[in-house]
Amino acid sequence: MTPAISVTGLTRRYYDEVALDGVSLTVGAGTITGLLGRNGAGKTTLLRILAGQEFPSSGSVQVLGAAPAENEDVLRRLVLVREDQVYPDFKVCHALRAASFCHPDWDAGLASSLLNDYGVRAGKAIKGLSRGQRSALGITIGLAARAEVTLFDEPYAGLDAVARQVFYDRLLADFAAFPRTVLLSTHLIDEAASLFENVVVIDRGRVALDTAADGLRGMATTVSGPVLAVDSFTAGRPVWERRGLGSQASVVMVGQVSGEDRELARSLGLDLTPLSLQQLVVRASGWSAGADSLTERTWA
Amino acid sequence: MNAMINVARYHLVQPVLFITLPLAMLAFLFAVNAARGGDTWRDGLTVIFLYFFIMGVQRVGGRWLPFGLALGATRRSFYVGTALLGVSMSLVYGLVIAGLQAIERATGGWGLSITFFRVPYLLNGPWYATWLTSFVGLSALFVYGMWYGIVNRRWGMLGLLAFVAVQVPAGIAVAFARTWSGVGGPHPSLSALDLTGVIAALTVVILAGGHATIRRVTV
Repeated sequence: MTPAISVTGLTRRYYDEVALDGVSLTVGAGTITGLLGRNGAGKTTLLRILAGQEFPSSGSVQVLGAAPAENEDVLRRLVLVREDQVYPDFKVCHALRAASFCHPDWDAGLASSLLNDYGVRAGKAIKGLSRGQRSALGITIGLAARAEVTLFDEPYAGLDAVARQVFYDRLLADFAAFPRTVLLSTHLIDEAASLFENVVVIDRGRVALDTAADGLRGMATTVSGPVLAVDSFTAGRPVWERRGLGSQASVVMVGQVSGEDRELARSLGLDLTPLSLQQLVVRASGWSAGADSLTERTWA
Repeated sequence: MNAMINVARYHLVQPVLFITLPLAMLAFLFAVNAARGGDTWRDGLTVIFLYFFIMGVQRVGGRWLPFGLALGATRRSFYVGTALLGVSMSLVYGLVIAGLQAIERATGGWGLSITFFRVPYLLNGPWYATWLTSFVGLSALFVYGMWYGIVNRRWGMLGLLAFVAVQVPAGIAVAFARTWSGVGGPHPSLSALDLTGVIAALTVVILAGGHATIRRVTV
């Protein structure tokens, strides 16, 4: 099957900085992929290029089998919801009406029920919306468009926890009924982690990690307890980080933990906690001083 | 074609800016003119031409382009669709001006000797000449405004200054040509319709320039 998105050696240079540096990745059709990374890592630039709003300096980009820039056939089947979307000076209902005839699979019922859930009045001027309400408008357009390729760039800035949960629930429900390819960039990693089938981490314009989310769960484990017990348990295993506090120690151990390991840990009085997606991403984004990226160290 | 029509429909989701506001402006200026009385033309009609220029700037230099591209329009379809809408509106407003001019002429200046829709030299011929000249003039100003908007979006304030600077020689040439052709004087060698032809040719050049400029715009 052809992937929905396929990027090879994509580089985007601005006057004095490199926003994307040889990015290669593929996103399978009908999956939800998390696009993660720090501020300024290049996530928004990548999404803008995928949506034809920005041009690559070099490299190739294919969305739905063709280059998206100035390509009507591709852009009609794609939607990008940006955190910093600029709207003309008009009302919410005007934006929705425009979206309804530009997106062939637009679902007006879904749009109005989403607006209702978020408590946004259709007659309100977009200028007068709060930050959260603007995000709600973006989410509404992104979901109701039912576009084959749906790109969300930090879609829920300013939304409270309940409103974010509404987004996750609606996204999953609509995704199940109308499968499509979703690429979602977010900073709230653990919160959104259960949505993702795949995870792509971008760090300083490069792909630091591109893997199935299942493979990441249980990829690393924090072992904590008495120093001697921790040391004997982790002896001979790859370890990322070691912290000691008096007689207690905490070590991040790489690799899957077997049933036997759990028995042993219990008998030694050790605590085993799998590293969360967020902690893994922090590592992949080169947080530890002097460390190479996660990919190079463990999966290369 | 469908995509261009979608762009035009997108611009028209808020019709007040294309219909209500310009007509209200015309009505207001006409009322001011009428209140002042007299049989001299006082530039009132110029405002509608300026309005078309500003609307052209707004549609691509303002906030309409970014959301238009977010809705899946290509730069090309956005450009052509917007220009088509501007030209169509010019056609309609040209007809409005020609119609009102005919009434003005038939009623002896609305019964009050008002000269509002009869512009000396430019719009003072038969109704079809008035229609043609105002249609071409409005279209030219709309697409000229679009070009300014695109330059602003691509290169910002410095780009705009440079854009104006390179047009200064052209402006001087126009000023000389005007003196030479006697336009504005009692015996112009260039008729209003000749001038309309020149402006129409310029419009084609402007359209091509704007199209070349929008191709690498990013949002």
